[in-house]
Amino acid sequence: MVNYVLFETASGYALFERLQSEEIGAKLEQVQQNVLDLGKFTQMIKLKSFAPFKSAADALENANDVSEGIVHPSLKAFLEMNLPSKKSKVQLGVAERNLAGAIKSELGVDCATDEVAQEMIRGIRLWADKLLSQLKSGDIEKAQLGLGHSYSRAKVKFNVNRSDNMII
Amino acid sequence: AAGGAKGGSKYVIEPHRHEGIFVARGKEDLLVTKNLVPGESVYGEKRISVDGPEGTKIEYRVWNPFRSKLAAAVLGGVDHLHVAPGKKVLYLGAASGTSVSHVADVVGPQGAVYAVEFSHRSGRDLINMAKKRTNVVPIIEDARHPHKYRMLVPMVDVIFADVAQPDQARIITLNAHHFLKNNGHIVISIKASCIDSTVDAATVFAREVKKLQEERVKPQEQLTLEPYERDHAVVVGRYVRNK
Repeated sequence: MVNYVLFETASGYALFERLQSEEIGAKLEQVQQNVLDLGKFTQMIKLKSFAPFKSAADALENANDVSEGIVHPSLKAFLEMNLPSKKSKVQLGVAERNLAGAIKSELGVDCATDEVAQEMIRGIRLWADKLLSQLKSGDIEKAQLGLGHSYSRAKVKFNVNRSDNMII
Repeated sequence: AAGGAKGGSKYVIEPHRHEGIFVARGKEDLLVTKNLVPGESVYGEKRISVDGPEGTKIEYRVWNPFRSKLAAAVLGGVDHLHVAPGKKVLYLGAASGTSVSHVADVVGPQGAVYAVEFSHRSGRDLINMAKKRTNVVPIIEDARHPHKYRMLVPMVDVIFADVAQPDQARIITLNAHHFLKNNGHIVISIKASCIDSTVDAATVFAREVKKLQEERVKPQEQLTLEPYERDHAVVVGRYVRNK
């Protein structure tokens, strides 16, 4: 069962720990219900650690790797530092399959991308402002705006042909 | 393009039934949005300036239903647009950002538009438009792979899609699963010929609606975009993730 969740934001990496360990709390419908209520959700999940990106350039590098399903060295360091040393007891919820596979092979941590993991990530995305206590309200939006511009500019710049990539 | 009302043509601005949208009444009635960046047009559209309180000026931009499916839907009488002041909108198929700029006007400074476009050529214009409108986050990426831009998008109130791809229902619901709030709305423009040109438009629309229903979207209304577009429909639905 997923007991940790990785959440990548435009401001940095966040690791959440799942508090309810009973099997009942693992039911998808129950997770779906709890996610909608911040009070219930914070009884289910707790911020373990948050590592902000050092600079805009650092954020872009990490965003590119996350997008491609690659474990950036700073993500590896973040997970190594904050996941319990007994790796056999960890199942990390990850948003996307390729990154989950990469984390598993680099860190030897069991990863899950199942519906329960996705539902918890939806919940974290919904309440991110409240859950990430280090950040002020509106910080994530600002970071998304800046990263959106740099990510998109880089995409356009690296297209040397200056023409469209057609989808056929 | 010359901005402002031309000599002699006076307009009176009235709010539209849909919050955040206005009608300029003059010799002819025009659909307009309140310009977030007064003094500038985005794509050569006409601007109308009217007197605001205490000697100020308020500027509006003309929203052409022949160039924007959302504008066509508004004039076609859509019941609920769901794009309104303060809302967060994920816009799939943003193209050069002409229509996105009006959506940015509608949601205003308290709202935000996350504008996804895959084509690099249109993407450049989109990025440039977003430099002036700080409530628009440009995302040059493939809408088929929402996980690629998951760091850039929060949970949103509405997804508007104008992607004109045969698998558009899948693209939209995939994005909804990632980013759309429970009970949030989707507004989709469907171009029948882009999906299947061998059957009539009505059949295509019905099939697309069915695909949406299978992915937790409850259809609420459907209208064709005549006379502004041929064989186009706009479908509005609610995303019911859990009961």
